Amino acid sequence: MDLYGTKYNEEPGGRPGLTFNSLKRSTQEQISAYLFLAPFLITLAVFFLYSTGRAFYFSFTDYNLFADPNWVGLENYLSLFRQSLFLRALQNTLLFSVIVTTVQTFLALVMATVLNQRIRGLAFFRAAYYIPSIASSVVITLIFMWMYQRRGLINYLWTEARRHAPIILLFIALVIVLQVAQVIWERRRGYPARWVDPALFLISFTVGAIGTLGAWVAGVVSVRPLPPVDFTWLATRVRLPGWAPSFLRVPVPLVAIMIQNIFTTIPTMMIMYLAALQGIPPSFYEAADIEGASVPQKFFRITIPSVRPVTFLVVALSLIGTLQMFDQVAIFGDAVPLESVITLSYYVYDRMFPGAQLPQVGLASAAAMFLAILTMLAVLVQRVFIKSEAE
Amino acid sequence: MRFLKTDERGDPAALKKADGDITGWMARRRWARVGIVYSVMILFAIILVGPMLFAALSSLKVNPLEYPPSLRIPELNPRNWVTAAQLGRAGAGDAFQGGFAPGAEIPFDLTYFYPEGTDPAPPDVEVPRRRPGSGLGAARTIDYAADYAEVSALEVVERERGEHEVDGTREDGVFVTYSFAVRYVGDGPLVGRVPLAATAERGHHYVDSTLPASRLERRGMVASFDNIAPGLGRYVVRNYSRVFDEARSVTTGRSLFVAWTRNSFLVAFARVLTNVVFASMAGYAVARYRFRGRFLIFFGLLFAQMVPAQVTFISNYLLVRDGLFGLSHLFGRDTFLNSLWGVIIAGAGSGAAMIHAGMVFVMKQFFETLPRDIEEAAEIDGAGTVQRYIRVVLPMARPALGAVIILTFQGTWNEFFWPLVVLTSPEEVKTLPVGLLAFRQVYGVAGDWGLILAGAILSALPVIVLFVVFQKYFMQGIAFGGSKE
Repeated sequence: MDLYGTKYNEEPGGRPGLTFNSLKRSTQEQISAYLFLAPFLITLAVFFLYSTGRAFYFSFTDYNLFADPNWVGLENYLSLFRQSLFLRALQNTLLFSVIVTTVQTFLALVMATVLNQRIRGLAFFRAAYYIPSIASSVVITLIFMWMYQRRGLINYLWTEARRHAPIILLFIALVIVLQVAQVIWERRRGYPARWVDPALFLISFTVGAIGTLGAWVAGVVSVRPLPPVDFTWLATRVRLPGWAPSFLRVPVPLVAIMIQNIFTTIPTMMIMYLAALQGIPPSFYEAADIEGASVPQKFFRITIPSVRPVTFLVVALSLIGTLQMFDQVAIFGDAVPLESVITLSYYVYDRMFPGAQLPQVGLASAAAMFLAILTMLAVLVQRVFIKSEAE
Repeated sequence: MRFLKTDERGDPAALKKADGDITGWMARRRWARVGIVYSVMILFAIILVGPMLFAALSSLKVNPLEYPPSLRIPELNPRNWVTAAQLGRAGAGDAFQGGFAPGAEIPFDLTYFYPEGTDPAPPDVEVPRRRPGSGLGAARTIDYAADYAEVSALEVVERERGEHEVDGTREDGVFVTYSFAVRYVGDGPLVGRVPLAATAERGHHYVDSTLPASRLERRGMVASFDNIAPGLGRYVVRNYSRVFDEARSVTTGRSLFVAWTRNSFLVAFARVLTNVVFASMAGYAVARYRFRGRFLIFFGLLFAQMVPAQVTFISNYLLVRDGLFGLSHLFGRDTFLNSLWGVIIAGAGSGAAMIHAGMVFVMKQFFETLPRDIEEAAEIDGAGTVQRYIRVVLPMARPALGAVIILTFQGTWNEFFWPLVVLTSPEEVKTLPVGLLAFRQVYGVAGDWGLILAGAILSALPVIVLFVVFQKYFMQGIAFGGSKE
């Protein structure tokens, strides 16, 4: 409203209405708007709408880049499911997507919960955690491939963990015993100590470390003389775990990509969760403390419900990302058996550029359409799933 | 509050003491918690940044696959730096780059251990005719130091009795140090490096040398040196200089890595430019104007971000192959395949083409928060639409444009799929991510990870620097991702 009580149009882009040249003005706006939008609209029309339409059309033809396309109806879609490579790609994609999404969402939330403290220097750590996510997938994949070599860092750490297992186990046992003993002692003295009491834990940790070191020096426990672990991460067709039914077994190279993917995605998700966690009123937790809720109870009853909108977003982004995983497969390339890591995305690329054979554009398009529908369905299903939980 | 024991009940003094007690008790818990949280944060930081840091350090080593992996890196030892510089000066009068030039005489020492009962025979030293690395650009002819080098006779300069650890047991024996020189005979070209191989008899053990051996081959019998006249630079950042030196274009002989870096920068700058200009225009139109079909634009924005790259790249590949409706003829070519223009203009995946739908969204969000008053004032002053946009709106949009610049640069720099489709040959037309894949394919087979890691670390540097300087925008990017739905 202005001084004279004229009601203004409240819509975005609105101007004071009911003037003489209002008609002319709106026409002007139309023209300016479309002029401003023109470059974007052209890009959108050519590279997204037209291309999607064309892929849709190709998926019903036998186009091979050289001969003219012939209409074949649903033949491509049907023949996809007769191809063992496609079925393997589908299986790999689904396993990858479900496992990675579950693990990384859960870990990101747990890590964010641990870090959700009002302390100095949080910004610095947040930035440090983000570094693995800003480098390109190629850089990260190359670094991981190097670590996955037969005598690489990962097998080395595995070897060392196995060799030092008695010492590590002794240390953990000592810490637990010390903690339990101390908590019982404190409670008998009348203090409300919890099982995870931080001050007592510091003491248990230090004394446990000294005790373990003493036992090591005294020769009670020692490093086991085991040979180096020579686990083949890349050039292998082994599928794990052996006891699982065949359709649930994950090829080892795919496990390698899973680990890498979880590693690089967790920081982003953790930062998104952290922002949500910092928005939960501390009074919720204080109230729970008064009622004597345990740490897991607080996590499941307060934290998880409070961050549900972020969980939806994180899971959606993760599903989209994992269902369309391509880069890692392409970079692993000939270092791993194709069938062990092939995903739907890579299948499409592989049919489009199959090396010496004739490209199968129709088949590639059909697989791409299938992938698009699968992605949409996954996001819809999880939306329904998470919503229904909230009610 | 502490639970009081029976005999303390009703005693005010005891109650007060208990209160003070419990306050201190709680405070100790808070401190302990803060300490634990910091420790956990540091632990997370080590786990998350560790691999990259370890890769960066290992990329300095001659053999990054050394087992067990260690961070004792001879390349970081200042004593070796001095030696490398001296040897570089001896080889080519260049303390930094090193090399092998006519008239050079490179002095070198080798120390061997001879256990009791073996006959101390000097090792056999030669300059092998060895190709540096394998693969990319291997078809080029290069000069070999072996063709010009002469190794002088070995002279014993020191002989000392002592103990040395051999296969886990200490043995008595003799340490013998030999001295010799590698000379450049006659006249010839400046050769880049001087490899050296010292072969000992079985039972004799290489101990030390002027510069540590690059690797021990054939069960320790051959001490192999990649370059005994490296100069400081070629020694410390050996793999990094190899990245630039060894991978070369077959046709022009130019460094591939330089070409890839240049291409990556060109594509990233071009995309930054198109997004700053066009995405802000589109964002402005959507935020400010009411027009027919506005709803459809929203649908288009969402669609461009949702449709998988695998769907759009098929048709876009064909368009680019056929020169984008004849557009390529303006650039004097029939196709945009294997051309940076093809990478810049078209695209595939999450809205990435010349104009990124996500960036349109960022600009739209920003313009909606801008007050209209200033634009209206400019309009009253008689400024036309375009003038108003350039003179008034854009200068105010600086923070949002900053985010667009940073995020577009990072996204384009890291982009892999679309350049992989468009850029296939020759090697020098690729961008960094696609080029690094070629590195992996060619050098990975030979287990030459030093070069691959060095290339990867180098290619990550620009975005890491950008991140360190403009961290704020990256975090905004995540926050934006959080508000997209």
